[in-house]
Amino acid sequence: MAIFARAEDVYAAIGALFEWGSQDGELGPKIGESGLTIRFVYHRPDAEITVDAKAVPPEGRHFTVHCGPSDLKADVTMEMDSDIAHTFWFGKMNLMTALARGQMKAVGPIQSILKLLPAIKPAYRKYPEIARSLGLPGGEA
Amino acid sequence: MEFTEFRVTTRVVAGWDLAASLDVELSQAGLERGLVVTDPGVRPLAERLLSASHRLIGLHDAITPNSEVGQVERLAERARDAGAGFLLAVGGGSVIDTAKAAAIVLTEGGRLLDHQGVNVLARPLFPVAAVPTTAGTGSEVTCYAVIRDGDAAAKVIFTSEWLPPVLAILDPALTLGLPPALTASTGMDALTHAVEAYLSNRAGPFSDALALAALETIYRHLPPAVRDGSDREARWHLLISSCQAGMAISWAMLGCAHALAHACGGLRQVPHGVANAILLPHCLAYNRPAVEARWWTLADVMGADPVKGVAALARRIGLPERLREVGVAESDLGPLAEAAILDGSIFTNPREATVEELAQILRAAY
Ligand SMILES: [Fe+2]
Repeated sequence: MAIFARAEDVYAAIGALFEWGSQDGELGPKIGESGLTIRFVYHRPDAEITVDAKAVPPEGRHFTVHCGPSDLKADVTMEMDSDIAHTFWFGKMNLMTALARGQMKAVGPIQSILKLLPAIKPAYRKYPEIARSLGLPGGEA
Repeated sequence: MEFTEFRVTTRVVAGWDLAASLDVELSQAGLERGLVVTDPGVRPLAERLLSASHRLIGLHDAITPNSEVGQVERLAERARDAGAGFLLAVGGGSVIDTAKAAAIVLTEGGRLLDHQGVNVLARPLFPVAAVPTTAGTGSEVTCYAVIRDGDAAAKVIFTSEWLPPVLAILDPALTLGLPPALTASTGMDALTHAVEAYLSNRAGPFSDALALAALETIYRHLPPAVRDGSDREARWHLLISSCQAGMAISWAMLGCAHALAHACGGLRQVPHGVANAILLPHCLAYNRPAVEARWWTLADVMGADPVKGVAALARRIGLPERLREVGVAESDLGPLAEAAILDGSIFTNPREATVEELAQILRAAY
């Protein structure tokens, strides 16, 4: 069974993670400085989150998170099943392996995403907390 | 092992003077109206193929080593204007990669860099057949194309299950005239593929078998082929084993020698095989703590300590040993390490490298 039933469930978990990251003193500035617009397109259920580090962020945040369809032009788009995203944010999946196995699709200059990988490590600690608080299972690979 | 996979989607045929009866293979593959893609050095040979075939319609020879985005787009335009039905790449890795990348543009339209990414291509590509004239890249079977983005002074790597050519024709007769320096550098590229595929953190049982077979053969036959270009036995074995190494990296991928070599090619246009030959001994020494059991297999296959064996081989076949000899400046080392840490090849290196560690490898090789 899928981890998430509706797009709203994806936003409550992964959207919340990104929102937390935009305010986190460690992760936030590193993503903010990238100046990238990154779109995450999820399937089963369909959902879309855009992380915008190009526009000036709201007060107290390092970048803007848009949950739901957005017209912003993305530098890089990452596309995957929502379940894969859930497993990934548990820190249980290697990005390159997921790409090699076709579990994720990356459109655009992938190097700019790879550059951010070390910066997002704190999110692997945060996401299990969020998932637990929502009563979601533990992201088995 | 958690998961493994293997596929070779290219039909590979190998034989002496196969290229002379090219149409037999082309018709079996249903390929018609081919545009021959080559470089000025290989042009005479490509012209012979063109005049002997009824399935080829023209020739495009404007490809250079470390070929660039613009060359890919011009080739695609030429093929479209000529109403070509497939591309026949006759040459080394650069020529074959250019044809493979042009197939992306011919299938999907737009500009080449619009199609950057991983798993971006969703359907079969405009067909490419490959006739390698060096025993090196294995590009005739791989799912990669490496193209230089001149504006960014960097290499862009395209990866897709649709990128392997539909047909590879291995004719060692075409490699008989290859000069010693090119035989040496392209051979070291193939050897580096075998070593890095075997040590990759994605190595699997299928890629291992091909990588080790290729390593043993290249290690033994490269010196005689460099010494005497007309050594038919050595030429045969090198062409077969470079293709095997290409099959191995299509699944297992590469490691830090390639990440650094791509950076050197992007920034200073260092020939790919030369960069690999210089860097591989230092990368092996760096990786050793992470690959203990496999280290001894390498030593067993080579009959020597891997670091010393690779360095001695490169010396014996007359390749430069230092980056400073091939146009790299000391001030380049930092930027090269920064570029290599973002290269796709670094992610399958058996030891997780930092920028500082990559800079140390570069300093050791400088
Ligand atoms: Fe290579």
